[in-house]
Amino acid sequence: MTAGSVQERLEPRVITEFDRPSRRYDPEETVRLRYHVTGTGDAVVRVIERSALWYSEGKGEEDLGVCFFERLTDLESLPPKQRRGEYAFRLPASPMTYEGTIVKIRWCVRIRLFFVGRRDFVSEHVFDVGELPPVQLPLQPRAVGR
Amino acid sequence: MVSIRLPRLFEKKRGSRRTGSQAWGRAGEACFYAALLAAGVVFTAMLGRRVVEAPGGLASIGLWMWLLTLLLPGALLSIGGSGLARLIHGWGRSEEGMAALRRFPEMFQPSGRASDMEPFPSVPPWENLNNSPGTILRYRLPLESPESWSVFGFGLFAVLWNAVVVLLAVTAGVDFVGGQTDWLLLAILVPFLAIGVAGVVIFVRALVLQTAVGPTQIEIADHPLRPGDRCDVYLGQGGRGMFRRIALSLELEELATFRQGTDTRTERRVVREIPFAEWRAVSIAPGRRFEERASFEVPAEAMHSFASLHNAVTWRIAVHVEPAKWPRFTRHFPIIVLPQRTGPALLNVPPSKLAVVGSGR
Repeated sequence: MTAGSVQERLEPRVITEFDRPSRRYDPEETVRLRYHVTGTGDAVVRVIERSALWYSEGKGEEDLGVCFFERLTDLESLPPKQRRGEYAFRLPASPMTYEGTIVKIRWCVRIRLFFVGRRDFVSEHVFDVGELPPVQLPLQPRAVGR
Repeated sequence: MVSIRLPRLFEKKRGSRRTGSQAWGRAGEACFYAALLAAGVVFTAMLGRRVVEAPGGLASIGLWMWLLTLLLPGALLSIGGSGLARLIHGWGRSEEGMAALRRFPEMFQPSGRASDMEPFPSVPPWENLNNSPGTILRYRLPLESPESWSVFGFGLFAVLWNAVVVLLAVTAGVDFVGGQTDWLLLAILVPFLAIGVAGVVIFVRALVLQTAVGPTQIEIADHPLRPGDRCDVYLGQGGRGMFRRIALSLELEELATFRQGTDTRTERRVVREIPFAEWRAVSIAPGRRFEERASFEVPAEAMHSFASLHNAVTWRIAVHVEPAKWPRFTRHFPIIVLPQRTGPALLNVPPSKLAVVGSGR
């Protein structure tokens, strides 16, 4: 976060464990996961943001939608005092994970660490919502630029 | 191990990641907007001072002139102020934090929780597709017609361009009557006239093509649909004479909007086409129209309709028409496909939302 200061190099890492090893969920199911923060040394984390969101990939600009967001500021529940955590959230009915040609939709959880006097760190872990097959083009693509 | 991190003047973009510091980037952006705001304040103060010190005050300048002179400082103030406000609002917030703030403004507290309660987030609303009752089936679908906007654009261009041509021609005519010939003006007038005539021809051609064949009407028995649903369709095609072919298909189109330099471009791609009805050698008598019924099935593994700011996945019924004497054309009628049913999903939807969900049933 903060630049221009003398810093000890950190190599933070967040290990997640979903309640379903396949990481595949149906819409409106509840996702539960645990996480473990390592590599932060004695650095003080002032905030952890835990979120679940979808984002678009492909040719268009990235869009994202948050379905769950939580911001932890209690130092007792943050590293270095507490390195483990868990949370759960209920998925919405849509959108579903989609593997199109120029539009793709991915779901992920993000755990973002805000350090005191350092740049923030974000860890992203992808999972699937629904079970749609990837789009295969049976016909010649017709692209129209406007 | 220690390292000193200094701001970089240049940065690389690696995929969606940038190597530079976001904080420095935002600071630079803040300086830019602050400079615009300061310039706006200074200009406004200077203008105000001139008005106050003018002998006749505001009356000597005139209200309209005063408003006109306020345009530039006003623009600086609004761009600088809004940019600065946006940066301050988002300072120290993450991408997902900002998205959550937009989505759950009332729930965003330091230790607050937010979770989605909309019945079908990111599925476009379908009320506008259901508000027109059909004559044979339940809903008459609206036509998605980019061609109409093209005709409007051609017409607008023809009118504006030819207005300029008329002005030039009148000027050249006045000069000619006065015994002068401005050859440069004439040299400009000739290509302008040619473009003006071409504009009118293109507009008239597009208008004739749009209106000559007659309207297309699509009605469906149920809407919105779900993957695996079968649905009846009614087709009504106006016009007269012979049609080589009229066909119906269900199409899935992806749409992505992106920036290329300073341009905003939109790419559309049909990624799935499911033909479900076809008629050949159709003859329509004067005063009658072609009317048929068919049915289609939404594939069980279909992606639901989706729309976000820059991306969309849309389903639509396409009517492909090949008249004997006119160029072939396709008309599109968008429909909404909801996500697959997942057991007692709707039981969890708030009652206020259920009315919306059930409005099409």
